[in-house]
Amino acid sequence: MKLRRLIIASLLLFLGAAALYVLRLDLLVTRQFEGRRWTLPAQVYAAPLELYAGLPLSSADLERELRRLKYRRADQLARPGTYRRSGDVIEVSLRAARFADELRAAQLLTIDTDHDAISRLRDGTGHEVPLARFEPMLIGSIFPIHGEDRIIVTPAEVPPLLPAALKAVEDRNFDTHHGIDPLAILRALWVDARAGQIEQGGSTLTQQLVKSYFLTPRRTAARKVREAIMALLLEAHFSKTDLMNAYINEIHLGQDGDRAIHGFGLASEFYFGKPLAELDLSEIATLVAVVRGPSYYDPRRHADRALKRRDLVLKLMADQGIVPAADARHAQAQPLNVTARAAGAYFPAYLDLVRRTLRRDYREQDLTETGLKVFTNLDPRVQSMAERTLDRELARLDRVHKQRGAPLQGAVVVTAPQSGDVIAVVGGRDAGFDGFDRALDARRPIGSLVKPFIYLAALETGRYNAATIIDDAPVSIRLAPNKLWQPENFTHQTYGPVPLVRALAESLNLATVNLGMGVGLDTVARSLKRFGLEEEPTRNPALLLGALDLTPLDVAQLYTGLANGGFRTTLRAVRAVISSDDKPLKAFPVDVQPVAQSDAVYEVDRMLQEVMERGTGRPARAVLPQGFTVAGKSGTSSDLRDSWFAGFSGSDLAVVWIGYDDDRVTGFTGTSGALDIWSHLMASIGGTAWSTPLPESLQEITIDYPTGLKAQTGCSDDLVSVPVPPGTDPVLKPGCPGAAVPGVGTAQSLLDRAGKWLHDLTH
Amino acid sequence: MLVAGFAVGCSMVSPPYQQPSTPAGDGRPEAAARAPSSASSSGSAQPGQPPPQPAREYKLGPASAALVSQAHTQAAAGNPDLAAATIERALRIEPANPLLWIELGAVHQGAGHYAQADSMAHKALQLAAGDPRAEASAWLLVAESLRARGRTAEASEADARAHALGAR
Repeated sequence: MKLRRLIIASLLLFLGAAALYVLRLDLLVTRQFEGRRWTLPAQVYAAPLELYAGLPLSSADLERELRRLKYRRADQLARPGTYRRSGDVIEVSLRAARFADELRAAQLLTIDTDHDAISRLRDGTGHEVPLARFEPMLIGSIFPIHGEDRIIVTPAEVPPLLPAALKAVEDRNFDTHHGIDPLAILRALWVDARAGQIEQGGSTLTQQLVKSYFLTPRRTAARKVREAIMALLLEAHFSKTDLMNAYINEIHLGQDGDRAIHGFGLASEFYFGKPLAELDLSEIATLVAVVRGPSYYDPRRHADRALKRRDLVLKLMADQGIVPAADARHAQAQPLNVTARAAGAYFPAYLDLVRRTLRRDYREQDLTETGLKVFTNLDPRVQSMAERTLDRELARLDRVHKQRGAPLQGAVVVTAPQSGDVIAVVGGRDAGFDGFDRALDARRPIGSLVKPFIYLAALETGRYNAATIIDDAPVSIRLAPNKLWQPENFTHQTYGPVPLVRALAESLNLATVNLGMGVGLDTVARSLKRFGLEEEPTRNPALLLGALDLTPLDVAQLYTGLANGGFRTTLRAVRAVISSDDKPLKAFPVDVQPVAQSDAVYEVDRMLQEVMERGTGRPARAVLPQGFTVAGKSGTSSDLRDSWFAGFSGSDLAVVWIGYDDDRVTGFTGTSGALDIWSHLMASIGGTAWSTPLPESLQEITIDYPTGLKAQTGCSDDLVSVPVPPGTDPVLKPGCPGAAVPGVGTAQSLLDRAGKWLHDLTH
Repeated sequence: MLVAGFAVGCSMVSPPYQQPSTPAGDGRPEAAARAPSSASSSGSAQPGQPPPQPAREYKLGPASAALVSQAHTQAAAGNPDLAAATIERALRIEPANPLLWIELGAVHQGAGHYAQADSMAHKALQLAAGDPRAEASAWLLVAESLRARGRTAEASEADARAHALGAR
């Protein structure tokens, strides 16, 4: 009697405890499922390609851009994401797309091209339209360190074959079971016993979902029980459709360094570079194959295994009547088709800049969890050109100067100087590798890159112009009672009296130091600050030769001001941020501010063109197209540790740095190292030539380039045209018409001019 | 809006802008086009004189013109941020067209960003050298932005420059 009561009591107690346990699990399960189900990393997009009549892109170029966005060539424009090309005409079925300022529906676009440029755009009704754009490419997301990354898809965005395939392979009775499938477990045990290894799991999709939500992968009996109870509870509360959708968005499908690839939406982009809705049978089967073991069946690293399992998936689909056997066989004949490297997160240096920009306005959690959409200025075309050019040229330079130790490194920043858009950032070789970002973090002495700002400061005093003669003569400056600074020219020679234009073009150190000391270190330091340095540099005479450590991005900020006519233009990687429900949150508008006299900047820009024509930038002429006017400056740090080149056309500015991470001597000057990369990059970008109109306050004169004396065709074999303020009238070169003919009435004015020349010379 | 109207007034009919300006002869861009302009349209022209013959005349390409008119609609609907973003799209197509800088400046002026409007008007002036109509619109914008900041004397000077260049 007593015993029976005891048994009943303990049984009741046990049931009570079990009920409590189940209740707790129930709470946990519903909360997880109904509450914030997934944290959504911010999605980052490149700039969309704007199309308009006159844009210099051929039909082949356009096709390349479409392929970059994973459009497929098709005979029929059946669905968005396809295009048809016949000769010079391309018809595109554009996908629906979200832009920073517009939600665009899927639509047809016809692009006519003529002689390597777009000649006409027409919409789906055949009407001509002034412009259109391709959708912005997804370039990555901002996910927490060691965190999950995913792109959420709605059931409408899921191709129906995917859930069908998942059921066929993972959970045949999904539609009817209540969360667990005892038959499947038995089958799995039997298959296991026979094959000696796990070929088929006994877990339902619901159990897999629970495991992914809550549990560590450790397999213990207790966990199995807990998992089963939770699966039953989930099924009791939610519909099969909801559970399938949750599964599709939740499941782990790959690893990319610290980044865990979750859900089929992201996996589709990660492995195939296109939206889930556009996958074909073979590609869907590949993703379903990966479910079973994302690292074991990694289609990039273990293509053979992945292929075998994909074929098994296809066979199961055919066996169960989901697809006709012929279709399955056809799909089995396809290659895996995964992209060479993962789309997204492969512009780490650029994303780094985006992240740093956003951290000023957003908390880390906002970025990694709330599904922001971030629209950037990255130009994928220019970015990949910059990466390729840097890799190729560094490999070549490594062969030229073979050194032991880590290979030569480099960084590139490209901007659109008028708007301040940062359009490409390369942080090192193997740009896909998310390592040390040299473009943003390598602070190196800039050498002669500082010089244009000294010349600008000099011109702004009104005491100098491009034709003014300065003395390239030995310099000796006492820095401390027993410390004498005696810089030299690169060639260890001195050049005597030279015009400003030549001193800058040939990067003469002594002339520049003399000029800078005449202008004053204060003035030079302030000028640099105005152009965008965060702090005024130390007033050390060595500043005049570039004893100033800056990152390539800092240099891009400074030179963007020169390229934009003396307007400091805030560099910006991000254009706009919108919320997950498409509300505009933050815009980063163009921001320009005049920081220098525009005439003086014009003169400096013209002198920087002579760098390219006659000076240290001259080798670029062999690479750049004829008539493509560019301006630029080389920089080399002491002992050839850092090789720089910074310069611009009318539409693009590029800064290139190369050197070793451990600061070893490279053996390259700016000209022999960075310039090659710069000029090849500028040539492939194309763009427009530099052409700012001559300011009304300046006039052109021609001078003899070596001496700076006034000259004209016939009396000098090295003429250069320079813009100078009116009234500037250098001494005439002997032998030029109108020059010193003794005994004529111009003798007095000649004397005046000679006096002025001498005066200039002593300055 | 006055400024914007003036700028759009001289638009719509040009070939696309993107092609690199091929320098003539001496390897310097547009040296030939520049020479007469610096003589004919110096900023100190007197009121009452007939406006100088334009040495060049900026126009908006069709794509920019479409974007500018879209921006006007957006600005009129009280959405200056969107309007600015739309004109920035046009600026990516024609970064050196002073008319677009005037348009962008006008949007900022309308949104109360007077200093930014002033900067953009000056950016336009730099690019517009030799095009008195564009220069005149830029000076009108300078005047507006100065007036909005209470700098009336300087504003009148800017206005006078605009009128000397032929602004009505």
